[in-house]
Amino acid sequence: MFMLRSFMNTYQGDETTGFQSPAQDYIEQIINLAEKLDLRKPNLYPVRVKGQALTERGIRDGDILIANAAADPIHGKVCVAMLLEEPILATLLFRQGIWWLQPSRKDAFPVSEQIEVWAIIETLVRLKI
Amino acid sequence: MFGLIDGNSFYCSCERAFDPTLRNKPVVVLSNNDGCVIARTHEAKDLGLKMGEPWHLAKKRPEFRTIIAKSSNYALYGDMSRRMYQVLTDHAPRVEPYSIDEMFLDLKGMNIDVVKWSSDLRSKVRRIAKIPTCVGIGQTKTIAKLANAVAKMDRNGSGVCDLSSPETRKVAYQSIPLEKVWGMGRASVKKLEAMKILTVSDFLTMPEDHVREMLTVTGLRTYKELQGLSCHAFSLTAPTKKSLACTRSFGRAITEWEDMRQAIVTYVSRAAEKMRRHNLSGAAMQVFMHTNRFNNDPSYANQVTFQIEPTDDTFALISSATKAARSIFRQGYRYSKAGIVFVDLFLKAEVPAQMFSTIDPIKSAKLMNALDSVNLKYGRNTITAGGVLPESGGWSMKRGNLSPSYTTQFEDMMSVIAI
Repeated sequence: MFMLRSFMNTYQGDETTGFQSPAQDYIEQIINLAEKLDLRKPNLYPVRVKGQALTERGIRDGDILIANAAADPIHGKVCVAMLLEEPILATLLFRQGIWWLQPSRKDAFPVSEQIEVWAIIETLVRLKI
Repeated sequence: MFGLIDGNSFYCSCERAFDPTLRNKPVVVLSNNDGCVIARTHEAKDLGLKMGEPWHLAKKRPEFRTIIAKSSNYALYGDMSRRMYQVLTDHAPRVEPYSIDEMFLDLKGMNIDVVKWSSDLRSKVRRIAKIPTCVGIGQTKTIAKLANAVAKMDRNGSGVCDLSSPETRKVAYQSIPLEKVWGMGRASVKKLEAMKILTVSDFLTMPEDHVREMLTVTGLRTYKELQGLSCHAFSLTAPTKKSLACTRSFGRAITEWEDMRQAIVTYVSRAAEKMRRHNLSGAAMQVFMHTNRFNNDPSYANQVTFQIEPTDDTFALISSATKAARSIFRQGYRYSKAGIVFVDLFLKAEVPAQMFSTIDPIKSAKLMNALDSVNLKYGRNTITAGGVLPESGGWSMKRGNLSPSYTTQFEDMMSVIAI
């Protein structure tokens, strides 16, 4: 019962037992990050980064990225691509009329039939800096 | 005008969306407890694997050794279905989710080239919801369904089939067997076959009276729908549930009352949660349990159905259900399955006030509300009735090759390798 009561605790800065709260007509909701990220959109997929290769672009191991599957590919953006064996994160390039994936320390390779550019990275969430 | 969009091998496609190693491979998804094959990619169909085959037998056959089998992950499939639906609602004025993988589109009054539009829609669903689909188009739901089946048959086709023109329909109907028609049961097909009525066009040459006589008004409706006269309207609300069940086969046989009690408590909690979500109250309950009928275990099966005070209160329902379960539980048997079914459901608002109520409705509503919101926020089974064990209880479902809940569990998010 104790657990339940603490979850049901509803004081928002408004209803006080002694002196009336001057804030009672001004109460607003707390900042809602989930709403800002809008993960209910069908095109957004949160993914988790493994590896250090993109540290120079500010993307670190363990970061959460929000990938947008509806976004058009843009030169220079980081994307999630499905290679044959695993999903990877690399920079998308447009050169000589075709799309390429640029790994951080290796040569770029063209986006072939076997590779799917799965979503474009739009947002980064880092829970601990 | 109706469209029907349907996910190709939906469950398998959901698995493939996040796991590229499954692409172009024969993949199947298994039913609860990894029992039977319930979804197959076309690569698996081509190997000759049938729908519904028990996997423990099929996997031993050499021709099936390349098949990758996944346990069913309904949390994932539900979320992918939700994504598919949302993409559709962004483009079609009205969408009716008919099943987890099929949705009717209302194309009435849309002044467009429907084939091109459908084709664009397919690519959007593929790109955004990650699901390959086929689209069928027709004047009625039955024609749209049929058109969809035609689109599916042509694997290298455009994935769109339009049967809205009477001329195209006439030609197509000559080669479509009756069993492909939505709402045409196996018994009806058999009856008609005996009269040499094999294709849809054969069927439509029958006089109307004759159809009604043989197949009742249901068959007549199908007949009219096939002609292009709409009998099944577009529907935007799910039918009110008449009964609600939570039944499972156990991962391993149960012999002890304590395990059975935990299973029953868990099932009631699930069902009560579902009832509250649909604003329903149960007035009668059935509890059953039985041993495995397909092995040599001593056999026992029993069930009990009884009236209860109409409620959706988990704790009240648990107490009635466990009492009933205790009354039919017999020591000395190896139980393979148990379940509870609420057979008499009311909309909560329609439940008559109880003269001698033992449950305080306001207190109960508050408590249930708190229970549901905590479980919603912090994950299932954060707060449970005493006796519910986490799903590792041994008796819980066998899911040997379960994929992560990529889109619904924080810990299960898809990992991407920075290269």
